[in-house]
Amino acid sequence: MAPSLHPANVWEAQVIENFKRIQATLATSPHLLQLGLLFSETVLIEVDGDEYYLSFDKGQIARIEEGPSRKTPWRFALRTDAEALDKFWQARPEPGFHDIFGLVKIGRGRIDGDILCLVKNLRFFKEVLGIPRAQEGVTA
Amino acid sequence: MSIEPITGRYVTIEVAGAARRIYFEEAGQGRPVLCLHTAGADTRQWRHLLNDAEITAANRLIAFDMPWHGKSLPPEGFETEEYLLTTEAYIETILTLIEGLGLDRPILAGCSMGGRIALQLAALHPEKFSGFIAIEASDFQPAWYDIDWFHRPDAHGGEMGAALVSANISPYAPSAERANTLWMFMQSGPGVFRGDLSFYTKDDSLIARLPQIDTDRTPVHIIVGAYDLTCTPEDAARTAKAIPGATLSVMDELGHFPMSEHPEGFRPFFVEALDKVANLDAVVA
Repeated sequence: MAPSLHPANVWEAQVIENFKRIQATLATSPHLLQLGLLFSETVLIEVDGDEYYLSFDKGQIARIEEGPSRKTPWRFALRTDAEALDKFWQARPEPGFHDIFGLVKIGRGRIDGDILCLVKNLRFFKEVLGIPRAQEGVTA
Repeated sequence: MSIEPITGRYVTIEVAGAARRIYFEEAGQGRPVLCLHTAGADTRQWRHLLNDAEITAANRLIAFDMPWHGKSLPPEGFETEEYLLTTEAYIETILTLIEGLGLDRPILAGCSMGGRIALQLAALHPEKFSGFIAIEASDFQPAWYDIDWFHRPDAHGGEMGAALVSANISPYAPSAERANTLWMFMQSGPGVFRGDLSFYTKDDSLIARLPQIDTDRTPVHIIVGAYDLTCTPEDAARTAKAIPGATLSVMDELGHFPMSEHPEGFRPFFVEALDKVANLDAVVA
């Protein structure tokens, strides 16, 4: 099925835009693709209850789909809220918002599913999720 | 070309009845400052300070790789034993090394598990030291991760360890030093980080000992980074509060590996810590 990306508001549009930016950056980043070479899983990102499925194929994002979907199996999920994700993507996030486990620790995020799969691929996944932050010009 | 002032040597001591060949580096002259690395890493975390001419002009900085870490090989027969660091073995290693190197009441500067053991020594063996700089140090925290993740045959413990600890590095850290800091974890031997974390996340014996630390005799200064998820400023503040006379500095833009992840940002806090210890030491003298 074709991606169903129909943002309902400005914030959703920004989230989807950032996912597309991640997808495009990954496609042209050999070092990240090498890190994610063995990663072919679907990840659920939930933001304020809205669901987004990122389907990886050997490190590349093959599809970005908007949920909800009961038909889409996912390996692990990161659930957070819009404000927290916005802070996460800032150039220099506040303490706690600087890492996905930080979000969990400060009560602004939850990780579900096959956590071992996430941890095995954690270097890759963190680099990937931080791409919008990096493209804002952060060098640190 | 430039040659650094750091020199490295080996010393063999006996711990738990068996020989330990330990690698140590040093630079500078004056008052000895023994520097302890974090779990899963090694002496390279201290290289920036050992190369700091202003600091080493009056301080002899010495850092060593714990057995199983860096260039300090595990003891003979290690391949048939599970590596689990204990408070007792850690203390014995440090005290025996001090004796072996002939250090006279050094300042002990330790980070993370090194900070934890520094506080243990402040409580149990203060006469051996002139002061304690406990970095990213607290009384106790249970793990927020499964330590068994770090030693599995189906995954690279170094990759996982580096990815996990990156959560503790500040976004203000220069990217090159962030990468160098993580590299040490990627190089850690199988099961070593797990064995260190066993000590760090399961031994809570320090809590009851904190009030017995006498900071009039041996000052204690705690330093913590705001981006440290493992030992948070709240954890460090709680610990400082439990030690009468202990002082605390919070680094707003640093994380759990300050001397390594952001050497320039950490430097003034370390200098401040040395000054605090020196001033208190002078008062007591």
